[in-house]
Amino acid sequence: MTMSAETLQQFYAAMAPWLALSLLLLGRNPFLSRVRMVGSLLLAFFLLRFPVEGWSMFAWIRMMEPNPSFTLTGLLGVLLYERLSGKKIFRPEDWNAAWLVGTLTALLLYPMGLGLTHVDPYAWGWKSAFPYAIAGCAMYLLLWGNRFGIILILPLVGSLLHLQESTNLWDALIDPIYGAVSLVAVMMAMQNFSGKLSSAGQASPSGRDGE
Amino acid sequence: MTSRLRWMLIVMAWLFAALLCSPSQLSRARFGPDEIAINAGSTSPVFKKTAVNAGQALPMVHVASLATLPVGIEAAVWYGGSKECAPDVKIYFSESEHGGGWSAPRVIMTREHAEHDLQRPLQGLGNAVLLSGPDGSLRLLFVTIAMGRWSGSQLNTCLSKDGGITWSSARRLTLSPFFNFSDLVRNRAISLAGGGWCVPIYQEFLGKFPELLWLKESKGHLDYCKSRIAGGCSTFQPSVVPLDDARAIAFLRDYTDNRKVFISRSDDGGCSWSRPVASQLPNPDAGISGLKLSDGKLLLAYNDSSECRDNLALALSRDEGKTWEKLATLEQEPGSSFSYPFLIRSEGGLINLAYTRKGTGIALTEFNEEWVADILSSLSRSKITVPQQ
Repeated sequence: MTMSAETLQQFYAAMAPWLALSLLLLGRNPFLSRVRMVGSLLLAFFLLRFPVEGWSMFAWIRMMEPNPSFTLTGLLGVLLYERLSGKKIFRPEDWNAAWLVGTLTALLLYPMGLGLTHVDPYAWGWKSAFPYAIAGCAMYLLLWGNRFGIILILPLVGSLLHLQESTNLWDALIDPIYGAVSLVAVMMAMQNFSGKLSSAGQASPSGRDGE
Repeated sequence: MTSRLRWMLIVMAWLFAALLCSPSQLSRARFGPDEIAINAGSTSPVFKKTAVNAGQALPMVHVASLATLPVGIEAAVWYGGSKECAPDVKIYFSESEHGGGWSAPRVIMTREHAEHDLQRPLQGLGNAVLLSGPDGSLRLLFVTIAMGRWSGSQLNTCLSKDGGITWSSARRLTLSPFFNFSDLVRNRAISLAGGGWCVPIYQEFLGKFPELLWLKESKGHLDYCKSRIAGGCSTFQPSVVPLDDARAIAFLRDYTDNRKVFISRSDDGGCSWSRPVASQLPNPDAGISGLKLSDGKLLLAYNDSSECRDNLALALSRDEGKTWEKLATLEQEPGSSFSYPFLIRSEGGLINLAYTRKGTGIALTEFNEEWVADILSSLSRSKITVPQQ
């Protein structure tokens, strides 16, 4: 029995919601029993199939987000693996690269893609040079030992296999959820950084306290 | 900033610059020869008004689109239901053999049908446009609404190889990066040399702006991409008219307080467009449709008002859209609405103009270039006689 392209695309589109829901159900408890793990994964699967007004929860999610990016799916996969195995495979610098790439691409794509300017970066996603750009980024990260480079290869593989409904490589690379999470993560990191800077300034002997 | 981060940013900037400079697949686009205006050579003026959906009693019908099949059959699609964006809106189809009447409207797409094909819930259906292939096939491009109104809509397509009797399973086109919101279609598609289509589309999400959808079908596989005519939030619903195989003019609906028909031009087969500029023609934030005549004049169907849609008129330009003269008022009734004109040339050379009449009718006006010439000559006679009175 062969799987049709549409079935394959539906199967892929269900991955990100299933991974996210599984993570939510696993919670933050560091001590997970095997039953809890398997139960959470199965419960997430059945929740996505739960019918609401004649359609499964997954169909409602797909109505809203038909093209979860391979990057988001990959990052959720990393999170779930880390949660289930208790091993860290992504270091802080790997996550930083993920949020930085997500922020930069979101800032480049969404304002202009939604009509801010005459230039439409979304159209680049159909150009033949775009895969090379992503491959270049992935290679650069991998050369520097950053594990997010592996995740960046997924959009290329996924689009080669036509796993998404979209034929645009931007949709393989980023989606609004990954973009939004990346922006929040980068803003929080910047806030922390500025907090550290100000506290370092207050602690320094050359500060103007008491003047 | 660490040196590693700095290098990463430099490499990314370089890659994106390389991407910008890379050759576009659209640079080879040329408008097809069947879009170069032809005249059937009839000698007597023809002018005829008919109803496409006579006998159809629906509270609302809207956005008609016509296509000419190679066998001399005219096909029309429009949507109808209780109101715009309602769940009961369906897409209707009718056909007319050359010279004959229109067949009884037939439903070709319902919300339930589209939900089944696309495997997800939908709120409703919207605008539809027909594309007629050289092999006699008909491609339907239609809007589905996922949520809300037009800003939550997406474009879909299906194909008929038997003149609109049966249709293939609908397929979703992904054209926007933000949850695929919200590309819509309304005006006539332009055929391309070497096969394929250039379809005027537009966005109605955060901004309203005109775009082009490029479609090409080979060996049963449909490839597509899109490009932008203009950004911002001021003009949309483009009507594209090729002037020759490389040059084209786009007439744009005005969303601003200017209340004018805007015009943008392309010299490279629709790959790049000039900044839209206001023409002398008024526009009450309503749809327009343009067509090129065989002698190079441009014809535009529009609402001759900056306030309302209570009339429908034709204007003519002898200088590729630089100046316009009003040709005729086809409909006028205070308090009524005559909107969303759709101009197309039939295989016999007749010019067909479909439009929404008073919100409940799809009307069709057929005329030929001799009728246009007749009107023009009477206009020029009146211009001469007026000063003598």
